[in-house]
Amino acid sequence: MAARSMATATVVADTSTEVTEMAVVRKNVLKDTAACQAFISGVKLLKAEDSTFSTTDFGIAGPPAKVRTYDLFVIWHILAMRTAVPPGGDPDIRNAAHLGPIFLPWHRMMLSLMEANLQRVLGDPAFGLPYWDWTDDTGHGDPTDSDLWKPSRMGGSGPAPFGGTVTDGPFAFDEADPGTFRVRITANSTLNMIRTSRGLRRALGVDVSTVPSKADVDALFDVRSPSGDPALATYDFEPWDGSSIGFRNRLEGFIPFGLHNLVHVFVGRDMGLASSPNDPVFYLHHCNVDRIWERWMDHNGRNYLPDQSAPAILRGHRLKDPIVSPLGSAATPETVLDPTSLYTYDQLS
Amino acid sequence: MDPRRLADVATPGKLGDYLSSLPKLPATHHAGPATTVRTTVHDGHRIVVSTRYEITVDGLPIGAHLGVHPNGQVHCHALPAYQFLSALAAVRALIDNYPEEFPADLAGPGGGGHGGGHDGGQVHGDGHGGGRHEHGGD
Ligand SMILES: [Cu+2]
Repeated sequence: MAARSMATATVVADTSTEVTEMAVVRKNVLKDTAACQAFISGVKLLKAEDSTFSTTDFGIAGPPAKVRTYDLFVIWHILAMRTAVPPGGDPDIRNAAHLGPIFLPWHRMMLSLMEANLQRVLGDPAFGLPYWDWTDDTGHGDPTDSDLWKPSRMGGSGPAPFGGTVTDGPFAFDEADPGTFRVRITANSTLNMIRTSRGLRRALGVDVSTVPSKADVDALFDVRSPSGDPALATYDFEPWDGSSIGFRNRLEGFIPFGLHNLVHVFVGRDMGLASSPNDPVFYLHHCNVDRIWERWMDHNGRNYLPDQSAPAILRGHRLKDPIVSPLGSAATPETVLDPTSLYTYDQLS
Repeated sequence: MDPRRLADVATPGKLGDYLSSLPKLPATHHAGPATTVRTTVHDGHRIVVSTRYEITVDGLPIGAHLGVHPNGQVHCHALPAYQFLSALAAVRALIDNYPEEFPADLAGPGGGGHGGGHDGGQVHGDGHGGGRHEHGGD
């Protein structure tokens, strides 16, 4: 491995870990001010922390630059998105984290690692990642007016009418401030990782005007014909991609376009790219997606498809296949199916 | 999941070691348009639809690849959560989201700062095979 840059002004990661004996509780970010503020503080600490790795360690072109711990997760997401399943296939048909059954387990794994890092830098083993229940923002006025986008929480959009650099809240950009929230690693339109140095960009409500409603989420649990869809009682179906019927693809939001995908597009700009974890809202959003998966398992049992009888071209998406994660073979869909030793949600619906 | 095992690998050192040890993906250099091939069988007849977009913006070919999902919607890997009615909508979104790749000085009058193109319908909710008339190779 290439030499790592050493920390100068930034804080070097203190890798001592405290393991909590009790599962943490994940709460609604709009109803729990303390969880929201802790999340913001933790993100800023991880954004300032030198991971001790350099951009060249990850094959990013240009002179070496230190990589912050927060940005390791951006890199992880881009790499997973570029990894086609099967190898040599088209990552836009199925990849190591999206467009297939692994979508939910992979993001669960990623969120748990982020949560552990937030616990570490906050010195609070009881910290639980908060979730953004976007359905709270529908049915009354414009979702872009949600309290989530106030300066005391996530800050707002870029300038009207088409969005751009965020100008208020904890992640606003101030070129003159060395401690400002800065996007440093992203991908270009051919999905190569590149270095950048700019503010976070959003375009709230520009490309789509709303987020999913309670009715949209409740529909996932209506499996009676003819009002509902019986296929939603099954986790996933052949051909295990963006064209599948079943729960996973409906929640991921490819058919029909909606739910998870709709929220990425609603927030827009950085949230709509392969480097979407650059926007801290990514974690609040995916925490809610994970909560909906928990609600589904509460209704339908802790089950997953496909199992190992599925063909090897699906390697990476089957029940006992390793997730693309540092846990190696210890993290598979099967081993992350029940997260209750790590966390629970205060409310599932 | 075992909390101790998770905490052990969650350190920046372990995560960074893991990510830097992954095989380096070759740089994607999209020399030309990609081709999407969709196949199906209808009433015993085998159908093959190959679709290839040849796109320029300000006279220059774009690097991003556009493809077609089996339901006929246009997709672009550079905008993974989006689905488009047409290739034109996809390219508009590319320009909005990758401003560094579409410099303002190449834009004509009224452009280079979101002057036009926002006529809605970039994204839509249900597929009906829109944009077919724009495909280059059907
Ligand atoms: Cu993702």
